[in-house]
Amino acid sequence: MKAYNEQWIHNREVLIQAGKWHRQGLLSDEQMAAARQTYPVEFRQTNGFLEIGLFLFTAVAILACYLLPASIFLSMSANQSVDALFNIGFGIGVAFVGRLLINRRLLYRNGIDNAFVVTLTGFLAFGLNQLLPNGLSVATHCLVTLPLLLLVLWYYGDTLIAFFALATFYAFIFDSLLKVSWGKDALPFVMMAISGVLYAGVRQILKRTVNQVYYTDALNLTQWIALIVLAASGNYFVVRELNGLLLESRPGGPIVTGAPEIALPALFWFLTFAIPAIYLWQGLTKKGPQPPLRMLLILATLGLIAAVMTLHEYTAVVPLNVALTLGGLVLIGIAVFGIRYLSRPKYGFTDAPDDDSPNELFINAATIAAVQAAGSAAHGPKDNLRYGGGNFGGGGSEGNY
Amino acid sequence: MSPTDVLNELSKQGIVLPDQQVKIAQIEQNKPFSLHWELRSLLYTGILLVSSGLGLLVYDNFDRIGHGALLTAIAAACVGCFYFVWKYRPEWTHDQTKSRSTFGDYALILACLLFLTLEGYAQYAYNVFGNRYGLVTLLPALLFLPLAYRFDHRGVLGMALTALISWVGVTVRPLELYFKTNFFDQPTVLSAIGLSLVLIALAVVLAKQRIKVHFTYTYLTIAGNLLMVALLGGLFNFDEGRLLFALGLAVACFAFDRYARQQRQTQVPGGAEGSFLFLLMSAVYGYIGITYLFFHYLNPTSDDIYYWYFIVTGIAFVYYLMSQLPKGNRTNESV
Repeated sequence: MKAYNEQWIHNREVLIQAGKWHRQGLLSDEQMAAARQTYPVEFRQTNGFLEIGLFLFTAVAILACYLLPASIFLSMSANQSVDALFNIGFGIGVAFVGRLLINRRLLYRNGIDNAFVVTLTGFLAFGLNQLLPNGLSVATHCLVTLPLLLLVLWYYGDTLIAFFALATFYAFIFDSLLKVSWGKDALPFVMMAISGVLYAGVRQILKRTVNQVYYTDALNLTQWIALIVLAASGNYFVVRELNGLLLESRPGGPIVTGAPEIALPALFWFLTFAIPAIYLWQGLTKKGPQPPLRMLLILATLGLIAAVMTLHEYTAVVPLNVALTLGGLVLIGIAVFGIRYLSRPKYGFTDAPDDDSPNELFINAATIAAVQAAGSAAHGPKDNLRYGGGNFGGGGSEGNY
Repeated sequence: MSPTDVLNELSKQGIVLPDQQVKIAQIEQNKPFSLHWELRSLLYTGILLVSSGLGLLVYDNFDRIGHGALLTAIAAACVGCFYFVWKYRPEWTHDQTKSRSTFGDYALILACLLFLTLEGYAQYAYNVFGNRYGLVTLLPALLFLPLAYRFDHRGVLGMALTALISWVGVTVRPLELYFKTNFFDQPTVLSAIGLSLVLIALAVVLAKQRIKVHFTYTYLTIAGNLLMVALLGGLFNFDEGRLLFALGLAVACFAFDRYARQQRQTQVPGGAEGSFLFLLMSAVYGYIGITYLFFHYLNPTSDDIYYWYFIVTGIAFVYYLMSQLPKGNRTNESV
């Protein structure tokens, strides 16, 4: 028995797909009505903006509910394990109230239930770690917390918890590797291997359990993160700078200025470009409307941009301004070419928008980006004698004049 | 769950007929994969990079040989973009229209950004506007506003409104709204309130006249946030007028709340989903205001009162927002 009605989630998925066909005129109104009858979904309707508000206010109320007894209780007790039990007890209490609300109010990712899941996990994890003796390594704490997170994830299938579980998992690997002598050298390779296995594993799970939609979002997020970590661990910039940071933080170590050259630079330069290239190749050849397709293409593009930026960082063939201009022109060129080329579908790709496209959201984001870019150009003359102090353009470039 | 699985289920239930199933399966099989938004995001990123790169380039090469050529190139590109936009201009109507070229919207954005670069440079190098700094921001506002209407571009409208806001003396960028804005200065607060009221009134009048109704959302989002932040700034910083600002905030929240509900009933296409933003805005800004007033005037001595306050108000706001959720289940919504 899980937190949400699995049948409804399944039905919802069926109806969403049926609705797409209905809008394309492939299903008649009667068929759509019949589908609604056959696949009832009782969850309360939701809205992205209200979810944010509900999440905020629910979290405020729960935290205040916690602090009210905690401020009295924790000031009286001096024993850490009693505090821990109090926190765990409160977490379980939150879980029960949340369960009640989910069932009574038919919630499914309405913001309220998300706030309950996140806070209860926080209390439980906090309490659990308080039970451990002091002075343990980060890796141990992560290892203890991970099963708890996985349990919560199994019960709720919540995307945020999936993210926390992944972060804990990677932190565990990272910290335990640094403990061993060969760990630092092996770090990028271990990270890449683990991410690759994670991605492949999730792919298999998604393939085998096609009718399971309870965890689809969490599993998709896992794929995204695994691919991002995989590309980042092979990136020359990330490896070199992280290596430099780790050298600096070691007590008694040599004082280094700037990150020194790493071992096997050629290999990492190769990986910097090769991994996104592989994503691109996979994305372009794997046919079919699988979600990984879009993910691979987006990550390939971002990865290649990052690779070029890495190259610019260390070789600096041209100054930043020229690099930005040329890079921008290249991107515009690719986009214009792509749009023109795909104006008629070719090789299974098209430029026509489809149902999966996030229309309104994208337009709003584009407006904000335009305002942001223009605002940076338009402000600032008040404080300076001439026109200065402002910085031109957004897009990650921040230079002052 | 792939479309094929759904199709099999529907056919098993007898909702989809066998020959229809074959047809849909075939359409799904042959459906090309849409790269529409990916390509447009790429185009957008490219435009932002080029405009910031050129901006940097001009300043870095200041007083050097060749920067005249550079400026000429930028000016030429700017004019070229405007020409392109004009060539593919849509017919002028009061409704939502689109440029006849796919790239019209993007060329317009690029042209506007390049114009800002040129204008900034003109002031930097030749001090064209002298000390009349207001002109530097008023000029883009006056230029962009008609452009936004003529070519029906919400992004340019946003830029025009931002320029207008800077001209009045409040620098607003969405991400820096709360960090950089100077609301300790009474004239600033009052002018911000005045400007946002003017903009809101303008938006309402234009919407009533059915002139570019889809712009209303952009107007109200920008002006509404400015109004609420300015009112909160006044509430926090000025002792003498605090209750007046509180009253203004209450009225503003109430009005936005009413507007959001009204929008949902009229069922303007696309307006229903977005109208919840105004509901959220009035709830969050209102809550901040109420909380501040509560602690400012009651000034409770015991911590318990703080906690009880947050418990009670938190639950109350959750109930309120819950009651505003659309009735019925989520499958009826257009996904």
